[in-house]
Amino acid sequence: MAKLKVGETLKYNGELIVMRDAAQRRLRELIASSKEIPVYLGGKIIFYAGPAKPPKNLKIGAIGPTTSERMDEFLEMLYYLGVIATIGKGKRSNLAVELCKKYQRVYFISPSGAAAYLSKCVIDAEIVAFDELGPEAIYRIEVKDFPLMVAIDSLGNQIF
Amino acid sequence: MIFKNEIMEKLSKSLVEKNCVINDEVKSFVDGYNGPFCEVLKENYKIAQTEGIPLCQDTGIVEFFVFIGHEVRVEEPLVEILNEVVEIVYSQSPFRYSVVRDPLFERKNTQNNTPPIIHIFQTKGNNLEIRFLIKGGGSENLSRLYMLRPSSNIEDFKRVIIEHIKENGAKGCPPLHVGIGVGGTSDEAIVLSKLALTKNFKERNIESRYASLEIELIKRLNELKIGFQGLGKGVSVFSVHIEAFPTHIATLPVGISTDCYLCRKGVIDIEDR
Repeated sequence: MAKLKVGETLKYNGELIVMRDAAQRRLRELIASSKEIPVYLGGKIIFYAGPAKPPKNLKIGAIGPTTSERMDEFLEMLYYLGVIATIGKGKRSNLAVELCKKYQRVYFISPSGAAAYLSKCVIDAEIVAFDELGPEAIYRIEVKDFPLMVAIDSLGNQIF
Repeated sequence: MIFKNEIMEKLSKSLVEKNCVINDEVKSFVDGYNGPFCEVLKENYKIAQTEGIPLCQDTGIVEFFVFIGHEVRVEEPLVEILNEVVEIVYSQSPFRYSVVRDPLFERKNTQNNTPPIIHIFQTKGNNLEIRFLIKGGGSENLSRLYMLRPSSNIEDFKRVIIEHIKENGAKGCPPLHVGIGVGGTSDEAIVLSKLALTKNFKERNIESRYASLEIELIKRLNELKIGFQGLGKGVSVFSVHIEAFPTHIATLPVGISTDCYLCRKGVIDIEDR
C-alpha cells in the first residue's frame, strides 16, 4: 500500500468486503457493547457499496461505489479492525485524509454510475453477515480486473 | 375515464427503460468524454442496455410529478396506482430496494422500493401527464434550501449556488444537472427545484432574464472544473434550470436540487377521451 501514489490507476484481482452505512453502524454498536463482530476484517479491503438484486442465474446484480464521506466517522474503527484500504466514490473529509496518513492506508475510488460494468468484474459473491439488511448486508466478493484509482495515498496526498 | 391498466403499462415500461437505457442527451456527453474511466462509462451503458442490468446499482427512490387536467377521471386513486407500479417494477426487475420504512428509528427496508414520492398539480383540460425522476441518494444528499434576505441581489443568488456546488459537487456523481427553485415558500422552492430537473438540457426558461441566468450559471459552474467522477476532466454540469414563483415580502427562498450524471427521468402522457 505504501508504494501506491495518488492518481495511479490499477485493475484489482482478489477479495473485497462490501459494506455501507447500516452495517458499519451495527459493527460500532456491537463493539461498544463488547460483543463479538460477525466478520473478520484483518488485512481486508472494504468496498462501500450496496448491490442491486441479481438478474436470473447470476450471483450478484449491479454494484458500484457509494459516497465514502458519509462513512468517515467509521474509518478509524475499520483501521483498528485491520482494514488495509477502502474503495468508494467522491471526496472525503480532512479526518479521512489524516487517518490515511496516520495508519498509512489507502483510499481508492472506482467509477460511479457504472454498476452494470462493475457487476461483470465480480466472479463470486456471498453474504457473510446482517442478511436482514438486504442491500446493506455485508458481502464477500471476488473480483477480476476491477478498475481503481488511488484517491488518497498513505502519505495523505489526495486527488480531489 | 383513464384506466389503471393503461397507466400501469406505460409507466412500468418507462421505469424499466430509464433504469437500463442511457438518456440520449447524457449519451452524447459520455461519448465525447475522454478522461479517467471513460471506457468503463461507455462500456457500462452498452452492457446495461443489452443485458437489462441497471446503469447504476442505486435504482433510486421514485419521484412522481403528476399534472392532471380538471376533466380527467381515473379508474382508481392515482396514489395507489403509482405505489403499485413501483412495487411491481422493482419486485420483478434486477433493481435495488433502496427505501426504508421509518427514517429515524429502525430504518427497516420496505422490500419493494415503495413508497414513491408523489406531487400532484391540477391543470386545465383532459390530459394526464406523469413525469418521474429516478432519484439516487448520492445526488439527493446535495439538496439544499437557502432562505436569503429579501434585499439580496442577483450576485448573492449566484454565489450560494456556485459555493454549494463547488464544495459538494464531486460527491453527487458529476457532471450534474442542477435545478433551482427561487421564490415561493421554503417547500415550494424545493419542489420547483425538483421540477426543474425534469426538463431537457437544452430547454431554457421562457423569461429571457432567467434564461440568461441559466446560461451564465452553466458557464460559471463548468469553470469549477469538477468534471466527470469529480476528477477534473470534461464538463461539471450538463445544464441548469431555474423555476421562479412569487414570494413573501420578507423572503427569498432558494432551493437547490441536483441529479447525477445519469439523469434518469421519464414522462408519460394519456388523454381522457
